[in-house]
Amino acid sequence: MKFEAMKQALIAAAQKAGVEQYEIYYEMEESLSADTMKQEINSFSSSVSGGICFRCIVNGKMGYASGELMTEEAMENLVASAISNAACIDSEDEVFIFPGSPAYATLPERTFKLNDAVTVKNTALALQKATYAQNEAVSDGTQCGSISATSEVHLYNSHGLELSNRAGVNLAYVDAIVRKGEDAQSGFEFSEGATFEDVKELPAKAVEVALSKFGASTVETGKYNVVIDGKTFRSFLSTFSSVFSAKNAQMGLSLLAGKEGEQIAAPCVSIVDDPMREGCPFQSNFDGEGVATARRDIIKDGVLTTLLYDLTTAKKAGVESTGHGQKHGYSSPVSISPYNFGICAGDATREELLADAKDGIFINECKGFHAGANPVTGDFSIESAGYRIRDGKLAEPIKSFTIAGNFFTLLKEIDRLGDKTLWGQPTSSTVFGSPDVLLRDASIAGK
Amino acid sequence: MISKALAESVLACAMSGGADFVEIYGEITRNNSVSMLNGKIDRATDNLVSGVGIRAFLGTRTVFASTSDISPEGLMQCARAVAAATGDLREREAIRLTERMFPNIHPAVRIPSGVEATERAELLRTACFAAKEYDEKIVQATGSILGVDHTILVANTEGLYTTDRHIRTRLAVSAVASNGSENQSGSCSPGAGMGLEFFDTVSPAHIGREAARQAMVNLRADYCPAGSMTVAIENGFGGVIFHEACGHSLEATSVAIGASQMAGKLGQQIANPKVTAIDDGTIPSAWGSVNIDDEGTPTQRNVLIENGILKGYLIDRLGSRRMGMPMTGSGRRQGYTYEATSRMTNTFIANSPDKNEDIIASIENGLYCRQMGGGSVNPLTGAFNFSVTEGYLIRNGKIAEPVRGASLIGTGSEILQNIDMVGQNLERAQGMCGSASGSVPTDVGQPLIRVSTITVGGR
Repeated sequence: MKFEAMKQALIAAAQKAGVEQYEIYYEMEESLSADTMKQEINSFSSSVSGGICFRCIVNGKMGYASGELMTEEAMENLVASAISNAACIDSEDEVFIFPGSPAYATLPERTFKLNDAVTVKNTALALQKATYAQNEAVSDGTQCGSISATSEVHLYNSHGLELSNRAGVNLAYVDAIVRKGEDAQSGFEFSEGATFEDVKELPAKAVEVALSKFGASTVETGKYNVVIDGKTFRSFLSTFSSVFSAKNAQMGLSLLAGKEGEQIAAPCVSIVDDPMREGCPFQSNFDGEGVATARRDIIKDGVLTTLLYDLTTAKKAGVESTGHGQKHGYSSPVSISPYNFGICAGDATREELLADAKDGIFINECKGFHAGANPVTGDFSIESAGYRIRDGKLAEPIKSFTIAGNFFTLLKEIDRLGDKTLWGQPTSSTVFGSPDVLLRDASIAGK
Repeated sequence: MISKALAESVLACAMSGGADFVEIYGEITRNNSVSMLNGKIDRATDNLVSGVGIRAFLGTRTVFASTSDISPEGLMQCARAVAAATGDLREREAIRLTERMFPNIHPAVRIPSGVEATERAELLRTACFAAKEYDEKIVQATGSILGVDHTILVANTEGLYTTDRHIRTRLAVSAVASNGSENQSGSCSPGAGMGLEFFDTVSPAHIGREAARQAMVNLRADYCPAGSMTVAIENGFGGVIFHEACGHSLEATSVAIGASQMAGKLGQQIANPKVTAIDDGTIPSAWGSVNIDDEGTPTQRNVLIENGILKGYLIDRLGSRRMGMPMTGSGRRQGYTYEATSRMTNTFIANSPDKNEDIIASIENGLYCRQMGGGSVNPLTGAFNFSVTEGYLIRNGKIAEPVRGASLIGTGSEILQNIDMVGQNLERAQGMCGSASGSVPTDVGQPLIRVSTITVGGR
């Protein structure tokens, strides 16, 4: 196996260079994907990619180097680069090569196998045909796809700590384009599943979403009761998740600094981060530094229980690492991020939330978070689309308006939560989830 | 990276599934970065990306496989995967490659990866300290200096075998100003297709001070009022408006499949006659320039809109097949794991006769956007949004107090008609553009422009 050979080469090179504290992190991913256009497979791709990262402590400073070239000579270069990078660091943060946690959670046995190429293609094609069959207004530009991916991670360090993890997922999506005259709308739906049978509900859902957007107008600027779809609200959570990082707090970039133990959200709001959430394709019992992970309350009944820590920030704060020092890809440095980070479900069905809002706005599409939201200040102004709520029910579609506010204020203003946490698509090993959210008197800018 | 002889066998093998065209793209990229936090260099990294992507065409269908294993066996395995996914295997036909060298019009002098990390760190330190010293209210200056040394190889069954090397340097500073109860931020992040000699053209201290200045303006700014307004958008990164609202809709990726509002509109008046827009990948040493695109086609100057009339699209190889139009040197990809698609290079609105002072004076009540942040667009509907990171109200034709938290929303077709004044101070600014083929460096740009009416999101 490649990892074993490269590991031995790195150990030898480190020894030769006189480096005593180091870590080797290896990640390899394989994927197959197919997408469609018109009535046929448009493209098929397969990919094998990954690399190895060597980091070491020299004179109390951590240097990194990584690469994809798997040769002995390349491994020697990694060790030399990491040593020279360590030499330019002047941060006084204490850095660690971790000896290991007392215990690691047991992950459920996984027997995931990469889907075969034929099934990947057939799933995409069957979805495409089913999408066109939904409605005659479905037009060219409609695209369906199927993806199968596996990943393998190994961590080894100079304390002899040796950890590994495997994950895999099959996903399918439908991006339906529907035309009426000059006007075109799109609807996107995805779900986990390896065959068409697993995901056959997607075409109808996607086409319905697209169809419902026709004839949308904008709304009058003003204050409205707003229900935000959990699928949309989880993007707010994702955008502002960096405020829960102890690193940002210690840097003065999070307004949650020093707020542990304080009420920062409405009492109905609880947030849990669970690296081993059942049903999530990416479960991990150790983080990018080798620290054991665990399910944790982040906000409990509105009170901030803990920020997310890695070894360095934990040492600074005089606490234990919460196992959030993740690596997003072999080449990235350790950075703090959550796993399955979600707002716990409340008690209301969507119908009840709409009835409660009575006269207001339902938002199920928001975009431009990277531009319209500032995690340092919490301010946001986000382009949105959705429906008017009239008499407690969904009415006409609306678009081209923004919802504006401040994330920290919003957390306190959440009035009621839906009864199901809706989880998103994993990005690296992070997934966000949220139930539907009811806000009162939110600022809406339209015409 | 890959010898001509090896490329010939790999192409022949990948063709054996019945494809009518196969291309090999190989890359070796050295990325190095140093970052600074709280006045201390806290991170220095090197990463070597190396891999190969092989793509086959059968008409407009594609098969793609990529691998980080660039050994001859790794490449052949990748080629066999392509052939097997294309169709039934047939006898291999010999491929003959001819090496071509394209002139390098973006020469770099001091390659970042050849300069010690400590020296690069010093440039960054100067920039961050300048931000911190700008005002005592600047509580935080973070930054990074990035160097990229990107060598690509393109070989295809039309006989092309060529390589190109592209060097980039960028320094980014982000500053946070605080008055005790509130934080506001500002940033500045210029870059170029140059080595470290880039800092002879822009001083690191200037970059730091500019980030700090913006944070200080936002600290004294009140929230921007919302509603429909006349807006003046300043040069440089203000050009993101065109990039998002129009540029993406001109990419073959969406035009060729009809998923763009610009499809089928060549020769039509799609913008105000004041608007001429260009995508030019040949500007010497610009951030978004390359000698050849990632399909081996030399880049060129593409006039997209001339006096409001749609003149052209950005077309990659696959787009060219789909649309029956020539390639425009626009096939780009982040790296070997992505298939090339049509992308922008340096895209900007050209100067026009309006005087800048007249533009401001013409607005009785409106918004002056001095700095724009990022944005996004739906190419199907043209709906866009982007943030204003430094804005001021305009009252009676004069720039008044700063405002924050504004965003501009609208649709591409609308705003193109509504750009009714275009000034004379064209400048470009740097960004990373994310799309189907990954993140690629692009310049946006424009002179000061006036948009007669647009929805401003604020509160």
